[in-house]
Amino acid sequence: MAKPTPTLYSIAKTFMWFAIISLLLLGSLVAIVLMDHSREWKVWQKKFVAIKTERAKKELAEAEAKVDKKQLATLAERLKQTQMERKSQRAEMAKTRKELEALEVRFAQAKTHYQDQKQFQDSYRYYFEEYSTHHDPRAKEFQKKFQTISPKVAAAKKEQDDAEKLRDEKAAQLEDFSAKEKEVKKEIEKLLAEKRLVQGKLDRVKPTLAKDILNAPMLDFLKPSLQVQQIVLEDLYDDYHFAKTQKVDRCTTCHQGIDQKGFEDMPQPFRTHPDLDLYLGSQSPHPVEKFGCTVCHSGSGHSVSFTDAAHTPSGPEEARQWKKKYGWHDLEKWEQKMLPLEHAQASCAKCHNDVVEVPQADHLNEGRRLAAKFGCFNCHKINGFEERWKVGPDLTHLSGKVDEDWITRWLHDPKAFRPSTQMPQIFHLSNHQDAADRERDNAAIAAITAYLVKNSEPITLMAAPIPGNPEEGEKLVKSLGCLGCHSVGDAKGDSFGPELSNLGSKVGADWLFTWIKDPKHYSSHTRMPNLRLSDPEAAHITAYLLSQRNESFEKTSIPEVMPEVVDSLILESFQGAMRAQEARAKLDQMNADERLEFLGKKSIAHQGCFTCHAIKGFEDQKPIGADLSNEGRKDIHQLDFGFVPIEHSREAFIEQKLKDPRIFDRGKIRSYYEKLRMPQFNFTDAEIESLTTFVLSLTEEQVPLQMRKRLDLKEERVEEGRLLVAQFNCNGCHTFDGKNGTLRELTEDPGAAPPVLDGEGAKVQEKWLHEFLRQPTVIRPWLTYRMPTFGLNEKDTQALVEYFANLSHEEASYKGHPVPETTPEKLAAGQTIFNQFQCVKCHQLDASSAAMGASFLAPDLSLTKKRLKPNWVKAWIQNPEALQAGTMMPSFFVDGQTPLTEILGGDAQAQIEAIRDYLYHENGVAKA
Amino acid sequence: MRPKSLFSAALFSLLMTFAIGSAQAAVTGKALFEGAAPAAEKIKVDADPKCKMMHPAGLEASSVIVNSNGTLKNVFVYVKEGAQGKFETPKESVVFDQVGCEYKPKVFGIQVNQTLEILNSDDTLHNVHSLPTQSQGFNLGMPIKGMKLKKSFSKPEVMVKIKCEVHPWMAAYAGVLDHPFYSVTDDEGKFEIKNLPPGNYVLEAWHEKYGAQTQNMTVAEGEQETSFTFKP
Repeated sequence: MAKPTPTLYSIAKTFMWFAIISLLLLGSLVAIVLMDHSREWKVWQKKFVAIKTERAKKELAEAEAKVDKKQLATLAERLKQTQMERKSQRAEMAKTRKELEALEVRFAQAKTHYQDQKQFQDSYRYYFEEYSTHHDPRAKEFQKKFQTISPKVAAAKKEQDDAEKLRDEKAAQLEDFSAKEKEVKKEIEKLLAEKRLVQGKLDRVKPTLAKDILNAPMLDFLKPSLQVQQIVLEDLYDDYHFAKTQKVDRCTTCHQGIDQKGFEDMPQPFRTHPDLDLYLGSQSPHPVEKFGCTVCHSGSGHSVSFTDAAHTPSGPEEARQWKKKYGWHDLEKWEQKMLPLEHAQASCAKCHNDVVEVPQADHLNEGRRLAAKFGCFNCHKINGFEERWKVGPDLTHLSGKVDEDWITRWLHDPKAFRPSTQMPQIFHLSNHQDAADRERDNAAIAAITAYLVKNSEPITLMAAPIPGNPEEGEKLVKSLGCLGCHSVGDAKGDSFGPELSNLGSKVGADWLFTWIKDPKHYSSHTRMPNLRLSDPEAAHITAYLLSQRNESFEKTSIPEVMPEVVDSLILESFQGAMRAQEARAKLDQMNADERLEFLGKKSIAHQGCFTCHAIKGFEDQKPIGADLSNEGRKDIHQLDFGFVPIEHSREAFIEQKLKDPRIFDRGKIRSYYEKLRMPQFNFTDAEIESLTTFVLSLTEEQVPLQMRKRLDLKEERVEEGRLLVAQFNCNGCHTFDGKNGTLRELTEDPGAAPPVLDGEGAKVQEKWLHEFLRQPTVIRPWLTYRMPTFGLNEKDTQALVEYFANLSHEEASYKGHPVPETTPEKLAAGQTIFNQFQCVKCHQLDASSAAMGASFLAPDLSLTKKRLKPNWVKAWIQNPEALQAGTMMPSFFVDGQTPLTEILGGDAQAQIEAIRDYLYHENGVAKA
Repeated sequence: MRPKSLFSAALFSLLMTFAIGSAQAAVTGKALFEGAAPAAEKIKVDADPKCKMMHPAGLEASSVIVNSNGTLKNVFVYVKEGAQGKFETPKESVVFDQVGCEYKPKVFGIQVNQTLEILNSDDTLHNVHSLPTQSQGFNLGMPIKGMKLKKSFSKPEVMVKIKCEVHPWMAAYAGVLDHPFYSVTDDEGKFEIKNLPPGNYVLEAWHEKYGAQTQNMTVAEGEQETSFTFKP
């Protein structure tokens, strides 16, 4: 026996090690499989399954409870009976069945026989026709054969039909035996239908062993019930720097109830979307399969874990909770974090970028409105918002309006004069707090004042011919419509124009009189319209407005300016452009006044005053603010947070910037001209929130054309008009297009308020509207408010006419509108009704016949032919209240009935048309 | 209707009748006027020749009428809070006339959905323009003498102003309520609210010129008296 070969290692030990390693390997394999199998999202899906199962069970119980037990029992009893009955008729049934079988055989035979005969007949016919054409003698033979067989065929057909009928009758007889039973079964089914339906639902959602197996590790590649849900957005791509991938949203993996009704009260992530009619619903304009989730909410759509999806907490408190609950942390490298809910509307602008207002996006619209109001577009270039107006007053003729001291005091602290002013604080802000900077600001203010006064062009002013009465003036300010744009003292109006309080401390009587008489005389581009005031009216208003003063403002002391500070600022401004000696030499060439003016020009350019105000010498200057066209997508690392300890997110930066525009200079050493320049607007928190949404909405991201909301020609015209409506503040007085008129709201009696303009395009003729907008005339003599003359140019006038027409879905036509055809009888009837209704009690007919004494005058009816569209007149007579809420015009055809039963057969429609026709025809009283 | 529900309905109505029939109270009283009666304002009615014919000397403003016994006419007194339950809409309608270029009555109460029968007894154009804030208003042109229209108010509201645009001096006020506990002071300044179940109520008295005042009241069975005092 051979000795075992000595080995260098112990076999037993090797086995042992091998076993250990194998086990470890197996263990790690199992661990890998299990870890791969256990996913965060599965937990949520299981929870949702549990919720749905619970619900289905409840529904099932409810459905069961609804089933009428008594009826069910009765039906079951009946079913038993019918079954018994059927059983008792077994013999009879068997007999019938046998008979049926016999009849089936008879029918089959008859059918075969008939088909045989028919074939023969067809072939005889063929040969007969064939031979006859070729004059073959055999034709005769076949003709005979055809004639012989024809009656046989007819007989066979009859036999077949008879057999069929008998068979069907017998079959029906057989059916009758079980008919009752079937009927009862059907009724039972009907009673249980709902329960069955819910049962089916429950079976589909509830967890089962089969589902568990399909969801098991290693087997879940087949058809698991828990799986990642995703929406692939065909036209959209995610930009991963140098790589574009199709946009995929997997949010619904966890947000399972988001597009289903009924989960409104569930905790997240299962809650139903709060507005399914607008978003996600299949009938909504933004169905989930086309828009997904991250298009609006941002975030990382392809991720299926809470943290990786880039959820954004609503504040530090929620962030803390999330950290504790889900191990959430900020995704530093992901640029497109989920938008906080209050800013979600920022995304609307991606696709809705050609409209003045995005439907239903109030928050974003408010942000846009504020940006326009405070002149953000004046300083900052923003694509899509270029065609805006300068928001500040024209300073070309400034010396004619205010004196030097007022300008200086104003620049030091505008809000000290008028707390509600839109003019931001420019000097003495948080980054100019040391003594040296205060001195420099004082010098810059003095210099700007000097420049503005020196460069102001002379203007002729008119003096009021009579002394005004302030009390009369106050009445006029309230009754003419000034409150449509301005507030004065206690009389609160629209905040579109500046508050007119304390003008006595600001302007002179001549300037104010001249200004309100004709605003365009002082400033050709002003948006202030002309109210066509008479001299006494203007004198009274002037007296009233000048009677209020701000005495504490008048008493503010004006700080002394050190010449050396002026010099040092001039020298500092030369830095970089020339050497120190050259700068000094240049400075020495200027005298004190020139130095001040030079610094003034430099300061205006530096602070960008000219972006909002027209100033001589700055006609072609480019705005000074940063281009904000892509601010909503700007890389976060490009934002200079300085040393301010706030969260590093876009929204936090924007909010902080709006709150204190200079704060990011904190802790930095910067020269006077290097410091941040954005002025302080003192926005409220709500304004900051809306403006932040607006800034976040600014993106140059290119959404494919087919995904965007594209406007048709009509919609484009409406949008053009909406911009003008915003520019001239038409809603300051009138209610229309979904906005309430401020003045209308302020007026207690709707009949005395500026008219509602909804439906104006359907009401008035385009040619008339064009004339009226250029040169308003009195339509409603009883209104104290006056439609002002806006001095619109031809382009804007036409745009407004088109706007009103398209808003009412009308085709704008300057050709006029055809006068309805009529008959002499109808015209006569029209005149009778017109008289019987005593229309002239209120309506003027022409200049010579003033209304016969009514205290309230209604529109002059001689204007009808020129002003109104015939279809509108008809609708108006029918139901005035429906077209103009609160109108003084009563309804004469109450509930479609006429009080005049004798005329035109008492036909209300015919009578309405008769009145209309009477108003449009020459031989009526109303002449065009 | 199945027998059971029929029975319960009968029982319910029986109980209701019992509840109302068993204990009833009435609140009566006067609207007193303190101080000198203001001189009636003269209104010129020349604007409409037809009105002028009826009132050659003009009309007297009817917004304040102080009776000879020192009480105030046309004060609307009603239960503001405390009325419980549902009340049937009365079948009979409230008649509202335009006669002699004035509204008659000038102040009246009406229940929600109760028919308001509007008449024009004048041979001139009137319009009846109601200005409710809670429900849909109406503005009816009534050019023909003797014509009649029917309207109603769908929501409670105290008061709904009614005016005529053709004759600006014409104004009336309707107190629209969802219960029948209201009254308007008469030529002696008296009001009477009947069939009130005992309980705690807030009563309000409203006058066109002198505004509204309220009183808390615990109403027991029988007749109770109270009064409101208006000052210029």
